[in-house]
Amino acid sequence: MTAIYDMTRRVTMHDVNSDVNYDDMDADVQDFFTDSNQPYYHERNQYTIEKLPDKVLRDIFQYLSPKQVCSYSSKISFQINQVGLVCKRWRVISQNPLLWKFVSFRPNYGGIQVNPQCIDFFIQLIGTRFSELRIVELATDLITPNVLYELANKAPKLQYLTLDFSTAMQLHDFTDLQSFPSRLKSLTICLSENIFLEGFLRKVYTFISSVETLHIIGTYEKVEDEEEEVYETVNIFKLKQFLPNMRVVNLWGVPFITDEHVDAISSNCAHLECLCVNYCPKVTGACLKLVLQRCRKLKTLFLAHTSRFYNTKPPEICLNSELDNNIVKMVDWEKTRIEELDIKGTELNSEALISILTRLPHLRWLDASWLENMTDQVLEAWQNSNAMGSLQFLNMDTCDSINEQALVDMIKRHGHQFHGLCLGGQHKLLEYFWMNMIPQLRNIRVMVMGIAEDCCPKVVAKIHVDQFIDCIAQNCPRLTRLEVRWDDETLRFSDKSRYKLHTAFTVTNNFYFSKFIDVLRMKCLMLHSIVLSDGQYYELVRSNFERADRMSVVRTTEMCRTGLLHCSRYFNQLLFN
Amino acid sequence: MAAEAKPERNIKISSSDNETFTVPRNVIRLSTTINTLLQDLGLDEEDAVNTDPIPVQNVTAPILKKVIAWCTYHYQDATPTDDADNREKRTDDIASWDVEFLKVDQGTLFELILAANYLDIKGLLDVTCKTVANMIKGKSPEEIRRTFNIKNDFTPEEEEQIRKENAWCED
Repeated sequence: MTAIYDMTRRVTMHDVNSDVNYDDMDADVQDFFTDSNQPYYHERNQYTIEKLPDKVLRDIFQYLSPKQVCSYSSKISFQINQVGLVCKRWRVISQNPLLWKFVSFRPNYGGIQVNPQCIDFFIQLIGTRFSELRIVELATDLITPNVLYELANKAPKLQYLTLDFSTAMQLHDFTDLQSFPSRLKSLTICLSENIFLEGFLRKVYTFISSVETLHIIGTYEKVEDEEEEVYETVNIFKLKQFLPNMRVVNLWGVPFITDEHVDAISSNCAHLECLCVNYCPKVTGACLKLVLQRCRKLKTLFLAHTSRFYNTKPPEICLNSELDNNIVKMVDWEKTRIEELDIKGTELNSEALISILTRLPHLRWLDASWLENMTDQVLEAWQNSNAMGSLQFLNMDTCDSINEQALVDMIKRHGHQFHGLCLGGQHKLLEYFWMNMIPQLRNIRVMVMGIAEDCCPKVVAKIHVDQFIDCIAQNCPRLTRLEVRWDDETLRFSDKSRYKLHTAFTVTNNFYFSKFIDVLRMKCLMLHSIVLSDGQYYELVRSNFERADRMSVVRTTEMCRTGLLHCSRYFNQLLFN
Repeated sequence: MAAEAKPERNIKISSSDNETFTVPRNVIRLSTTINTLLQDLGLDEEDAVNTDPIPVQNVTAPILKKVIAWCTYHYQDATPTDDADNREKRTDDIASWDVEFLKVDQGTLFELILAANYLDIKGLLDVTCKTVANMIKGKSPEEIRRTFNIKNDFTPEEEEQIRKENAWCED
């Protein structure tokens, strides 16, 4: 009975779609007779993307974040939306709230621009698609009582909120604001020059006591004229009263911040671990003594460019220091737990530098770049004080006063402990120095060297980069980031090496342009960023890596700069924009 | 360090088509599924030797072989920290060895994903998913369909409707 049924079915199917079934039949018959069903078996079990379960497709889609802008056919759209247009199943998966945990609505930073006509639809989405939201960035036009109300009530997992007022012309009316996300761990406020936020913040204060990380991002980049009046757009004295749990405070480029403000923050935050006042030109350091006494847990102190600037851009050229030498010397540094210190671009004198560095035995991370007074004497005193024992990351970019010998002494003694060393922008350090020092840097992860031609003193000597690269490959197996700033005029590399084959290193033997770069690629497997000055050598290295399918490893100095900030323990918390 | 003193223990696993593989205990540790199984069944004890191979259903011998090769290369890697808070997930950081390893046809790639998912090998699942994500990135819906041989099951009306819905965030 079943056999007959089976046969009739076959016959009917045959009639409907003869071509296809003939093939099938043939294969079946072949199978039956030949026993060698391997190829057929394989074809039949061909796995397609449709076989993947929803959970796995979601795992794949999570790499297509809603921030990724893809512009094909001259339209701006988001990759995750593209995926939703493929088929019904993909559409359902692409709308899963788990894929929308981090959404930026700051078009200036690659975020989503919400169509003003669709605000109501957007508000409706908060309750459905954005219910798993953890991190959200809002620009002025979306900072409305309605949006904040929905976020507070429908996105219970929201922990990181950025409110960007930097482009604000006018604020919305917040008299009706009754609700605000109340489980925030991190709050970022981007200020505008002249919009006062007190009226808004007054409504918000009672909701933000859980905040541990506060960023206030000032208008440093926009200020052009020093004479222009500076408005105190946020009331720091009030704000700090409502933030007792702060661990990380980042006041970045806020022109009105003075020592009194920093002092006030410290008076209410016993748990403060990281304080950052980079580019706050009015901070002199007068608050530091008290701040460090009060906040015993403070480990990281960033004071970069805390000095006044007169219409000078780039800000590296500071004319009149405000970070006061004598005040800094009075701080009881030896009683602190400071592990990370950034004094980049300040004008501390040598005496003050010695006074600080020799009294910080726990120092692990130091950014001392662009310091004119970082001299051989400072380095010597620092080494002799034995306070360098914990140092792992050191940035002395463009410290022109230091001589080669002082650095040689330091690296001979401490080179093995360095994980990051940035000695770019120093025109005295050439081939000889690096060839001798690289073997000492066995644990190095991040390394920056060289100086570009256009930086004032001309590099006369030529650099034979091949030996360099070889030396790095042989000695620095843990290297993750490398920056070589010398430009094409300075770099010399052998053309012959392009075609010469060294059998030991031709593991992937489909290409070999430069055996030295091959060696680097094979030996330093963790290397994920190489920054080079644009030119022939850059092209050579890039094509070598790309042929090995290591895309976006090699970049130019115009696109990317290597620093040590990512090695700070608080890097993730300090990120904004 | 203590592990070095003891002789390396081996675990036997068998594929869906009944081929048996012998894998060092340290290597198979990467499969959370098998690792948990071994712990729960008390097979980690000293005297628990010469047991029957653990059947790995759903995974064929050629795929299981590749999975073991991947684990053997990676078993000493540091366990990646959980980056739930990370804002953007990168896909351009696939190690060169993995790039070579994953130069396979789509069918094998998807079988590997299924195996990694079933055996719960996080590192392998991550790197294979990244590879597929890279195949999707920068493509239009039509190009994606062509790449993976997916049928468009939307009616023109439905497509129009979706485009309207997406208007809230696109121009």
